[in-house]
Amino acid sequence: MGTPLDRLAARFTALLGRDSVIDDPVRLRTYECDGLTTHRASPGLVVLPETAEDVAAVVRDCVAAGVPYVARGSGTGLSGGALPRTDGVLIVTARMRRILEIDIPNQRAVVEPGVINLDVTRAVRPYGYYFAPDPSSQQICSVGGNVAENSGGAHCLKYGFTAHHVLSCEVVTPDGEIVELGEGPGYDLLGVFVGAEGTLGITTKITVRLTRVPETVQTLLAAFTSIEAGGTAVSAIIGAGVVPAAIEMMDALSIEAAEAAVGCGYPEGAAAVLIVELDGPASEVAHQFAEVERLCRDAGAFEVRIAADDAERALIWTGRKSAFAAVGRISPAYLVQDGVIPRTALPRVLARIDALSAASGVRVANVFHAGDGNLHPLVLFDDAEEGAAERAEEVSGAILDLCVEHGGSITGEHGVGVDKARYMPRMFTDTDLDTMQMVRCGFDPAGLCNPGKVFPTPRLCGEVPGVKKGPHPLVAEGKAELF
Amino acid sequence: MDALKILAEACADVRPAEPDDAPWAARFTAAPADAGEAAALLRAAADLGLAVVPRGGGTRLRWGAPPTRCDLLVDTRRMDRIVEHAAGDLVVTAEAGTPLAVLGAALAEHGQRLSLDGQPPGATVGGAVASGAAGPLRLLYGSPRDLVIGLTIVRADGAVARSGGKVVKNVAGYDLGRLFAGSSGTLGLIVSATFRLHPVPEARAFVSRTFAGPGEAHDAVQRVLHSPAYPAAVECSSAAGHRVDVLLEGVANGVPDRAAAVADLLGGGTVAAGPPSGWAELPAGGTLVHASVPPGSLRDLLAVPLPADAALAWSASGHARVVLPGGTAPGRVADALAALRALGSAVVRDAPPDVRDAVDVWGEIPGLALMRRVKDQFDPDHRLSPGRFAGGI
Amino acid sequence: MTAADPPRDRPSLLGDCVHCGFCLPTCPTYVLWGEEMDSPRGRIHLMAQREEGAPLSPEMAGHFDACLGCMACVTACPSGVQYDRLIEMTRAEVEAEHPRPLREKLLREAVFRLFPYRRRLRAVRGPLRLYQRSGLPALVRRSGVLERISPSLAAMERLAPPLGPAPRLPERVAARGTRRATVGMLTGCVQGEFFPGVNAATARVLALEGCDVVIPRDQGCCGALSLHSGRAEEAAAFARATIAAFEAVDVVVVNSAGCGSSMKDYADVLADDPAWARRAAALSAKTRDFAEFVDELGPRAERHPLPVTVAYHDACHLSHAQKIRSQPRRLLAGIPELAVREIADPDVCCGSAGTYNLFQPEAAARLGDRKAGSVRATDAELLVAANPGCSMQIATALRRQGADIAVAHTAQVLDASLRGLGRGALVGSDSSTDN
Repeated sequence: MGTPLDRLAARFTALLGRDSVIDDPVRLRTYECDGLTTHRASPGLVVLPETAEDVAAVVRDCVAAGVPYVARGSGTGLSGGALPRTDGVLIVTARMRRILEIDIPNQRAVVEPGVINLDVTRAVRPYGYYFAPDPSSQQICSVGGNVAENSGGAHCLKYGFTAHHVLSCEVVTPDGEIVELGEGPGYDLLGVFVGAEGTLGITTKITVRLTRVPETVQTLLAAFTSIEAGGTAVSAIIGAGVVPAAIEMMDALSIEAAEAAVGCGYPEGAAAVLIVELDGPASEVAHQFAEVERLCRDAGAFEVRIAADDAERALIWTGRKSAFAAVGRISPAYLVQDGVIPRTALPRVLARIDALSAASGVRVANVFHAGDGNLHPLVLFDDAEEGAAERAEEVSGAILDLCVEHGGSITGEHGVGVDKARYMPRMFTDTDLDTMQMVRCGFDPAGLCNPGKVFPTPRLCGEVPGVKKGPHPLVAEGKAELF
Repeated sequence: MDALKILAEACADVRPAEPDDAPWAARFTAAPADAGEAAALLRAAADLGLAVVPRGGGTRLRWGAPPTRCDLLVDTRRMDRIVEHAAGDLVVTAEAGTPLAVLGAALAEHGQRLSLDGQPPGATVGGAVASGAAGPLRLLYGSPRDLVIGLTIVRADGAVARSGGKVVKNVAGYDLGRLFAGSSGTLGLIVSATFRLHPVPEARAFVSRTFAGPGEAHDAVQRVLHSPAYPAAVECSSAAGHRVDVLLEGVANGVPDRAAAVADLLGGGTVAAGPPSGWAELPAGGTLVHASVPPGSLRDLLAVPLPADAALAWSASGHARVVLPGGTAPGRVADALAALRALGSAVVRDAPPDVRDAVDVWGEIPGLALMRRVKDQFDPDHRLSPGRFAGGI
Repeated sequence: MTAADPPRDRPSLLGDCVHCGFCLPTCPTYVLWGEEMDSPRGRIHLMAQREEGAPLSPEMAGHFDACLGCMACVTACPSGVQYDRLIEMTRAEVEAEHPRPLREKLLREAVFRLFPYRRRLRAVRGPLRLYQRSGLPALVRRSGVLERISPSLAAMERLAPPLGPAPRLPERVAARGTRRATVGMLTGCVQGEFFPGVNAATARVLALEGCDVVIPRDQGCCGALSLHSGRAEEAAAFARATIAAFEAVDVVVVNSAGCGSSMKDYADVLADDPAWARRAAALSAKTRDFAEFVDELGPRAERHPLPVTVAYHDACHLSHAQKIRSQPRRLLAGIPELAVREIADPDVCCGSAGTYNLFQPEAAARLGDRKAGSVRATDAELLVAANPGCSMQIATALRRQGADIAVAHTAQVLDASLRGLGRGALVGSDSSTDN
């Protein structure tokens, strides 16, 4: 009866119950995009499993039917990593949200993939611990999504990324097997699974490392009359051997947006603000904090504010954390970029972005993790205006070129997804990409697990060396390359 | 001799292997000067169907099983350039054969370091990554998989591939650096690696105390871990009693206070500026076992019955190293392994042949089927370090 | 939105959403079901589909109906999406276009003809009191007969608070000591009839703090229930009557969060009515929540000690719609010996949400259970909330869990402190904790 998707819908309804399968077109469309709205595809079917066994059964049925599938957590990704397939199944983990275990003696917790990042911290905070990765969307993004994207956040400068805070993952492989990837003998498959953007399987249980809450946190906000001066301060701080928990920078345009959204009260007339946070043992933080303050003033800060308590600290961060969404208030539409450059190239690259913006007339607001050179240029445009989106896209691409040219990366934390796959060849050779895809072929020879993400051109996996049977149809049509 | 001639066309430094080149028999030894020569060499080896085993400083060649076949030993030590040290960015790129000591000295001139310790003298960049091993600092800084931010490899077919880059924050593409860390030369030849660096801390202090029983040592470690002391390393070694050593790193006017606080937590520890004897070192020889034991199981680890002359060192990152002296009966090694595996995974890194033959070297390997499939993709003919790795990979 | 802004149409309001998802964790139905279309972001997406011409299917209407209108998403939204306006517009559309099944229609009519009318409410009070005293409630609940007839009727039965006598308030209560202000007071429908003690306490506290309190006899329903259910015309009519009733005073103090929030919205409700727009804006500008006003006024009367542990519940229409969070906490904290405990997930609605627990009883009950669990986890002796709906909802859920906790309005706690009544006035004789 009907299409493969119809048959799957019937199977999944029998398996999971009516409430866990969505096949109504109007409902399906609400899943057509994640946090990146420029790419949309209404899924063929949505399922909301509650156990690893259910996920495995769904995957096995998809594979048997040759139907592609995509996993989605909270749908906050910014690279379209969870973009559904119209001919496929979207496996939503939002109902797998139990914190299964909190193990303080071993400084770890076991959670289901749909658990919200911040909820892990909330649960372990009473014990003096927290979950270190803190993407700006931490109040809603899921830990499963963090694993897929290897999420960072403002504090990864000191504490590292999700990969450094995940000890093991239970994974439903593209065969529909449930496997534990972790610290056992053999290859570090967990290491490559984290950050593979959901192309190597679906995690169903995650053991995360918990980090001791530091004794002290000190936060300052320094205002500068130019971005360059802010950049100088960053270099001076790092050069002095200080490892801050975070160094964030915002330019005038993003400050304006944040101010409109949350009234964060940053100093007036600032062309750039720097948020510097130090944490750790009290005596050492106090010492280094004084030095950071001095370095900021030496670099030309006209105002330095020091958060006196948690409330003031939260207010300083509110502006930064809401900046992306807040830009929605000053522009009808915008593109977020996520390029990375070596920190020392900051002044040069920012000047080039300025020039790009001036030449094209496209406004660019800059919000970035200055400590690790991770830029988030927000390229503003009016989607009602003819050709504006294309011009913004052009500026956006040019910024990524700048990053690669300076030895950086096209993405620091948002992932490649569907959005930046086409930029991958600017950073990697065909051989580099082919080599990465060897891993994918090992995990998912059928290529049904979140296909079309990360890599601009799929690699064909089934070819056994020496047994050539003529060109694969995709190669013949020019849709795939054979290496 | 044909093979030698073909290899010589690819790489200037090729010769028949000598007994000292490796602890097992090899046919040829080649030392490529750079990635280009290494690529040509592996391409030639692929054409010839040769089994290829990389080596660096030779400090850990006895780790893992001996290869089932070794036609070509690739000695990386001529690839020993520090390609780029971007001090302002706290990043360095070095070729695989660069000795870690040489790299460390060069970085120290700029007040920086690669926060990877516990490496045997003579170890190289490539060997450290391929072994994946780390010392006490792993607690705070992780192991090679956490410190490598970019990796260049030569594949089995001779193609040169790169992943990652030279910025710390980067999620473009799969992270092959983490996959290759600890892969023991079975997926490809590492030709250079880029690492993130840290400033050399202004001050260090070691706080130590010896405890009579496992329970007391366990509790002391728990107190330190759950305190705000922010230790760079917490070690527990078991020889005469159970000694707990805590390393604190930081600024000069903060470390003494923290050291005093940790001394209190230990119930009266002694504070020293330098490492205690035996820090990050274990006796050589015999059977070396690496076990994964989280902090909550330290008490049980310390209670594992071991031969009297065995040495045990545990890092709070959850990694234990056990040395059972040469001459320990295979049966006793097997007993120790079983006891360790009740707490976590345990792998025999190095052992006399009789022990290796008698015990289960790897233990349970979750995900082995996936590992084999990944191996088949990278090395379909199984010519790279065949048999050296988990599950006979 | 200030009155000077031109009114924005739905497509323009929809354009503000950047699909970031920050609203999801605060949305009660997303918390329950984890489905995109039962989140604010999903509902906005459905509204956008409507704009593109998708028909208003029963499924779609169901997702709009399932929204509690708690406005937690408005607080959470960094892009300033006016979801409150959007859902009101959409609800009006649902009311106008969506054919409801007969039973649902009858129930809605009954609710909207009963609750906004004090006299009708008063009429059911007598029989209800009799019913409560008769021993019948236990029988009825055990039998499940109401559940079978209608889950909503059963919900109404369960939610009715134990009723005491409802004294009538005078039209004017004089300030104690020097007069600091003259304020009007809204008595509300449900508050007035089911929680008369709250109104009396409100009037006393205001008077003790130096306010002349004016309680117009001709006031009726503020229109909150209608406004929040898409019955725009009915709401506008209630609004006009309320504006007229309070035009003489400088400040209107409202002790029911839902009423206060709708009165602050009158400017929008009547923005298109040239005869009333200005008068509506004036009333909105002078409306104050009880806690907001008393906090603004500053303490003058002596606070007597009240050794009670209270859990303060943020009513959505207070915290999200009116952004009033710190004031009631400050008032409570100002009472000697009183300890305030925070309830986990304070942003998530208790499930009361105006008429929600009547029309969506199952979801409401699950949300009530969640909230009751969080309240119990605080180990507080007294639950303080500033909305009658919340009080009924949480008390019912707590009773269902076998945990009876005393419930009071902020005004009642202040009243007890100002009059030096001691803890017994709030938590009963409680021989268990206090000999």
